[in-house]
Amino acid sequence: MRRFRLSTLMIVLSFIFVLAGCVENPSTNQGSEEGETKAEVEKGEKVVNIGYSGPLSGPAAFYGERTLNGIKLAVEEINNNGGFDVNDQTYKINLVSLDDKYLPNETAANAKRLLQEHNTPIIFTPHSGGVQAMQVFNEKENFLIGAYTSEPSITETGNSLTVRIPPRYDGYMEPFTKYQMERFGKKLAALPTSTQYGKDWTEMLLPHWKENGGEVVHESSIDFAKDTDFFTMITNALKEKPDVLFIGGPSEPTAKVAKQARELGFEGGFIIMDQAKLDEMKKVTGSYDVLEGAIGVMPLVNADYPGTPQFVENYREKYGEDPGSEAGLNYIATYIFVEAMKAAGTVDDPKAIRSHIQDGLDNLPKEKQVYVIPEIGEDGGFKADLSVAAVEDGKIVPIKVKE
Amino acid sequence: MELLVQQLFNGLTVGSVYSLVALGLTLVYGILHIPNFAHGALYMLGGYVTLTMMLLWGLNYWLAIVISILVIGLLGVLMERLVFHPLRKAPPIHDKIAAIGILLFLEALAQLIWGADYRTMSTPYGQVINIFGITFTMQRILINVGAIFVMVMLYLFLKKTFVGSAIIAMSQNREGAHLVGINTNKVAMLTFMISGGLAAIAASLSAPINLVFPGMGHLVVLKAFVIIILGGMGSIPGAIVGGYILGFTESLGATYISNDYKDLIAFLLLVIILSIKPQGLFAKGGH
Repeated sequence: MRRFRLSTLMIVLSFIFVLAGCVENPSTNQGSEEGETKAEVEKGEKVVNIGYSGPLSGPAAFYGERTLNGIKLAVEEINNNGGFDVNDQTYKINLVSLDDKYLPNETAANAKRLLQEHNTPIIFTPHSGGVQAMQVFNEKENFLIGAYTSEPSITETGNSLTVRIPPRYDGYMEPFTKYQMERFGKKLAALPTSTQYGKDWTEMLLPHWKENGGEVVHESSIDFAKDTDFFTMITNALKEKPDVLFIGGPSEPTAKVAKQARELGFEGGFIIMDQAKLDEMKKVTGSYDVLEGAIGVMPLVNADYPGTPQFVENYREKYGEDPGSEAGLNYIATYIFVEAMKAAGTVDDPKAIRSHIQDGLDNLPKEKQVYVIPEIGEDGGFKADLSVAAVEDGKIVPIKVKE
Repeated sequence: MELLVQQLFNGLTVGSVYSLVALGLTLVYGILHIPNFAHGALYMLGGYVTLTMMLLWGLNYWLAIVISILVIGLLGVLMERLVFHPLRKAPPIHDKIAAIGILLFLEALAQLIWGADYRTMSTPYGQVINIFGITFTMQRILINVGAIFVMVMLYLFLKKTFVGSAIIAMSQNREGAHLVGINTNKVAMLTFMISGGLAAIAASLSAPINLVFPGMGHLVVLKAFVIIILGGMGSIPGAIVGGYILGFTESLGATYISNDYKDLIAFLLLVIILSIKPQGLFAKGGH
């Protein structure tokens, strides 16, 4: 009996695995779990460890993987090109990634572990909670945070060893509001995700909308982790006949919200929070027609920076999918840190690296410029032009943002 | 008026999904007195198997659902054989812990196999039908009709067939059923099979209006527990009525009271009903 049970289990399991193997699923082909991207060190070369802590399991795992992939790609390129030289010493990079399940306390614990076991001068993390948790002790323990979050508050606290990689999200308010008011009208219904980030965005956008003479006719939020169907909430949001709908969250469910709003007869525009990406949303909706009149962050694949086409090609080849800005910005940040190390003449003094980031930005080769980032602000945030795009006549159109 | 009708329709859609999930849960509870926390994982896997069949072999939506029902049904049987059957003499807490263990295992397995991404299931039923300002989509109509069809079939099966009567007999009195010669092992396996099948149907019908991802089971299984407590643990009509009550409360509560408090309203209703009828709306037993 026992043997029978065991063999049934095996058969079923193997069936499941066979199925799994066949489904096209590019993002899981590479080990997404915690691990190290080991550098092959030749004689006379040294290794510098770089740390990463982000969500690699649980509901946000896909996001963590995408950010990590950008760093991984940069590290592999650097190592395959023979590493980099600092004071005539060649270094290779060893990337150590740990899972924090999107929990700030885990990020802090991971950071301690990275410091003690691997002595990492730089630790990347892709969420504001984790950044804030590490800011408690990063100056004391002496390491640099590669912060992938557009939350403005992380650089307002005056932490001297934080580098904010993406642009602050408050810069989006002006162009988004202006575009939608001119194209569609002044009535806005807000229906973003109910996460903290969604709430912060709402609190910034709605006052801005009202200041510009707009009217907010509905304010609510969707919990993508709890609601099976969005029809009820969208029906309510459309009750007052808004001209513009403010939506956001992970790309895929956000796209579903947009699609269902169209099914319910909504014909206005969408303001899309920077967390969602137009190109990823298109995969769910099938075409840009559904997203007509949407304004959001410029999809990386449509951007025309000098290094973008090459990066997109490399990324597609390695991971089998289009890169988003998560991958692109982390990729370029890794290169910038390496250039900063070269300029600083040290790989293990975070303060010196931080003070040479500007040199790193200046020395960044043109072909690596997936984004153009001219300078780093006093507060440690990269200052770049916001790249905004809207969907017009079924196509992605860049929108000029005035400084 | 249009708004009310639209929201009633929305409530009906969500209620149908809830009812189907709650039915599977209540069946297992009625027979074996196991609160099967892993039911949400079966629901999630049901969605994934259907999606896989459609993408991998390009199967027709309906054919994919049939395969999904079989696969998840068998998985249910396997769960019963490998986990719950050996635990039948253990204290009840062991069943609960085992169920949670299976839930975690299956979720991690799904993430390993299919990845953590959101997947889209596209069906040929995306048409939008607009009557008097009210929006129906084909898929939503399918969910409603499909759920009612499944409920009727389940009812006929339980009431009109010999095997169905055996299931009811066992839920009324396990020892008694055993004494009159009903093979309780077989009935238990069959119940898990039906329960898994119902989860697969619910997931396959509702996945096209949402997305397929490893956490999708959480959305419904907690609510399904609320429903079976509301309707009476183990009661089949209770699960159906409870599902629709919750669906309507959510949609109407969100419309006329507040979207942010719609869960609060649903749970308040639960408290009120339980304080009037502590056993739930329908007393447990073979109905």
